[in-house]
Amino acid sequence: MSPIDSIRPIVRALRSHRAAALLLALEIALTLAVLCNLMFIVAGNLQRARTPTGTDEADIAVIQSIGVIGEDNPGTAGSNLATLQSVPGVAAAAFGAPPLWRVDRAALFASPDAEQPLARPYLLNGSQGLNRTLGTRVIQGRDLQDAELPGLMSTFGDTSGGSADTRQFPALLTQALAEQLYPTQSALGKVLYTNMWGTPISLRVVGVIAPLRAAITGHPDDAMAVVTEFKVAGEGLGGGYMLRSQPGQLAQVLPLAAKALQQANPGHVQQMVKTMAQLREDTFRGDTALNRMLAGIMVILLTVTALGVGGLASFWVQQRTRQIGIRRALGATRTDILRYFQIENFLIVGAGVVAGALLAFALNQWLMQRFELERLSAVPVLIAVVAMWLLGQLAVLGPALRAAAIPPVVATRST
Amino acid sequence: MLAYYCHLALRSFRRHRVLTALMVLAIALGIGASMTMLTVLHNLSGNPLPTRSAVLFHPQVDPRPARLPGADPEPPDDLTWQDAVNLYALPGATRRVLTSTNWLPTRADAPGSALAMMDTRATTADMFAMFGVPFVYGTGWSQADDEQRALVVVLTRSLNDTLFGGADSVGRTLVIATKVFRVVGVVEDWNPQPRFYDLGSGAFSEPAKLYMPFFTWLDLPQDYGYGPMACWDHGDGTHDPKAPNCTWAQFWVQLDDATQVAAYRQRLENYSAQQHQLGRFQRAPNVRVRGLLEWLDYKRVVPSLVRMQAWIALGVLLVCLVNAVGLLVSKFSRKAGEVGVRRALGASRRAVFIQCLVEAGLIGLAGGLLGAPLAWLGLWMVRQQPVPYAAQVGLDAPMLGFALLTAMVAALAAGVWPAWRAARIAPALQVKSL
Repeated sequence: MSPIDSIRPIVRALRSHRAAALLLALEIALTLAVLCNLMFIVAGNLQRARTPTGTDEADIAVIQSIGVIGEDNPGTAGSNLATLQSVPGVAAAAFGAPPLWRVDRAALFASPDAEQPLARPYLLNGSQGLNRTLGTRVIQGRDLQDAELPGLMSTFGDTSGGSADTRQFPALLTQALAEQLYPTQSALGKVLYTNMWGTPISLRVVGVIAPLRAAITGHPDDAMAVVTEFKVAGEGLGGGYMLRSQPGQLAQVLPLAAKALQQANPGHVQQMVKTMAQLREDTFRGDTALNRMLAGIMVILLTVTALGVGGLASFWVQQRTRQIGIRRALGATRTDILRYFQIENFLIVGAGVVAGALLAFALNQWLMQRFELERLSAVPVLIAVVAMWLLGQLAVLGPALRAAAIPPVVATRST
Repeated sequence: MLAYYCHLALRSFRRHRVLTALMVLAIALGIGASMTMLTVLHNLSGNPLPTRSAVLFHPQVDPRPARLPGADPEPPDDLTWQDAVNLYALPGATRRVLTSTNWLPTRADAPGSALAMMDTRATTADMFAMFGVPFVYGTGWSQADDEQRALVVVLTRSLNDTLFGGADSVGRTLVIATKVFRVVGVVEDWNPQPRFYDLGSGAFSEPAKLYMPFFTWLDLPQDYGYGPMACWDHGDGTHDPKAPNCTWAQFWVQLDDATQVAAYRQRLENYSAQQHQLGRFQRAPNVRVRGLLEWLDYKRVVPSLVRMQAWIALGVLLVCLVNAVGLLVSKFSRKAGEVGVRRALGASRRAVFIQCLVEAGLIGLAGGLLGAPLAWLGLWMVRQQPVPYAAQVGLDAPMLGFALLTAMVAALAAGVWPAWRAARIAPALQVKSL
């Protein structure tokens, strides 16, 4: 018997159970549509949580050290950096904040009096050594050099005047930003205008660097960043002190560094001492919680659907007990009966998954408009389709086995 | 009659134990999952101060220059120092509060006590009464304290527990930013969510540990930052809180009725016009007086993922409903013989229909009763998550009632079509086949 021959009578028989078959297909379709979109949201969250910042995350940490006036604070920014660098195992240190730690965005302008910003990238700024601590990788032009940096106090201490052009900082742009600003030419040597702490400054592009993400939100502009440095020396600066350890030594180095910095500044409060791994965990805590919740919802959905399919299937078996008995009496084997129910389920679920896949994309379209979700890809839909088919087969297995166990003799009974 | 239907329904449940259990479980899971998500949403989009939200308003004025590249037509959220002082003095509000947030180095005044940065809220005297903050010990400070820049402080219960072992600490002293402050009161760990009064520093973040007079705080010897500051015009010295181009102070007023609101709005317009004449404001009066809930809505406080959860919850509920319809169809079809006999004995279609609905409703009720503890379990799991809003999530009585009602209505809705099918069963045919 060819497969087609065995399917035809099943399809014909289904017509007399239109209501139940339609309900089953509808339930499968709805479950599939919701399931696909949930899987897609979870997959997106997981992927975001794994997006690299482009720094040597495993070896970078930040110590937030805040000065209190009236307390004893002999350390200056310059001596603090020297203190950190003298800790064994510290490869580089800088005053400044790492990615994932409230990095600000800055509007970039083409000229000092321009009204429309060209872009709003993240601005990673800090003292000399910021680029070395972050581990930025220059792919065009050159790295920032300490000798060319303007001093912090000479630039921002005097607020009486001067134009943005006189407050010029060398800067590195990420490739994504350079390509957006200058699609047809090289970014090297270009001058951009922005402001730092409310003071207008200009940036001279000296290099283009590999992707560096200051924040991971899933937006394409995460990879748009500017890195710039200023020179610190005798200022008493409280804030983020960032350090990079020799590979793999951060766990031993960070407590030593925090202790050394505290000894240099007994009046400072170390508000936060965190590795970038911890910052990443903090950043995605909400996503992780949501993922767990959505995973729970998916399990519940699948359970409910399995219950529904199983319940309907067992009802059908019971309703058709007599017909099955007649077929058995006419020579159908147990395997034939089992296969009958499996093929029937396969067909109904098949109709359901086709409708469900369409519905999934429609639902995704709506979610995209309303919640800025990304476009659903085919992979989660395929996974969900296979899952629904397996689920259907599993749910029908029990009732189908019971059907197969019906002895031919029931054909002669009345009910 | 209803009692008889219930009796019939219970008999039917006993006859089809497995099928009934499956349906109850399916409805319970659907209700449990969707209620968990809806409760999270309800808590997050909820009213942080249900008893006071109707009279709390957030005034805004627009001090920005006329020409500002890429400027939002909405006025800034917060006030500049100058406007803060002026609006604080503006009459027409029953109460008003000027506030901002900060971290301040704090230690108990015993020698050798550890120094720690404390989340501090700088505020004016009316805040405690206006927001209804409950006191454990003592009271707030007076307007005179505000004016005299008195060195007084109100602690939260948890900080009082840490520093003073939970004792009545009124009259004790603390060293804050190197100055000696006297404790005048201890309040409960008050943390309405969303934290409407200062969304700029996090809508679901940790509450302040201590409260101090606004003007005293501005007089402290060091700049510890003044909460999130928004500046325009690349002006000089933007870290100066008194800079004319930086907004950072939150301002709230209590207005008791619509006429008071209208009058206050007019006062703000007049104030803006007057500032315009003085040359301080360049724009035409651009004022807002948003009520608390309107303000939350404007600031889109509820995370979009949470709003999406509500739709997911509805999707789950819908799947459960279709599931229940399918199971009810199969259940009622099994009763075809019984229905036929009842019809043959004179039961009307209507009676059969109602009896089937009663059965569906009872299943829904059972599903809801089982779903409520499931929702409670779900919310318990949400609370275990390390997210800032988790602690706020709980099931209250109205939400519980809503869950039960939803389960019943859902099951009844699911029962309509199967019951109609059952009621159509012709009496004679079924009797014949028996």
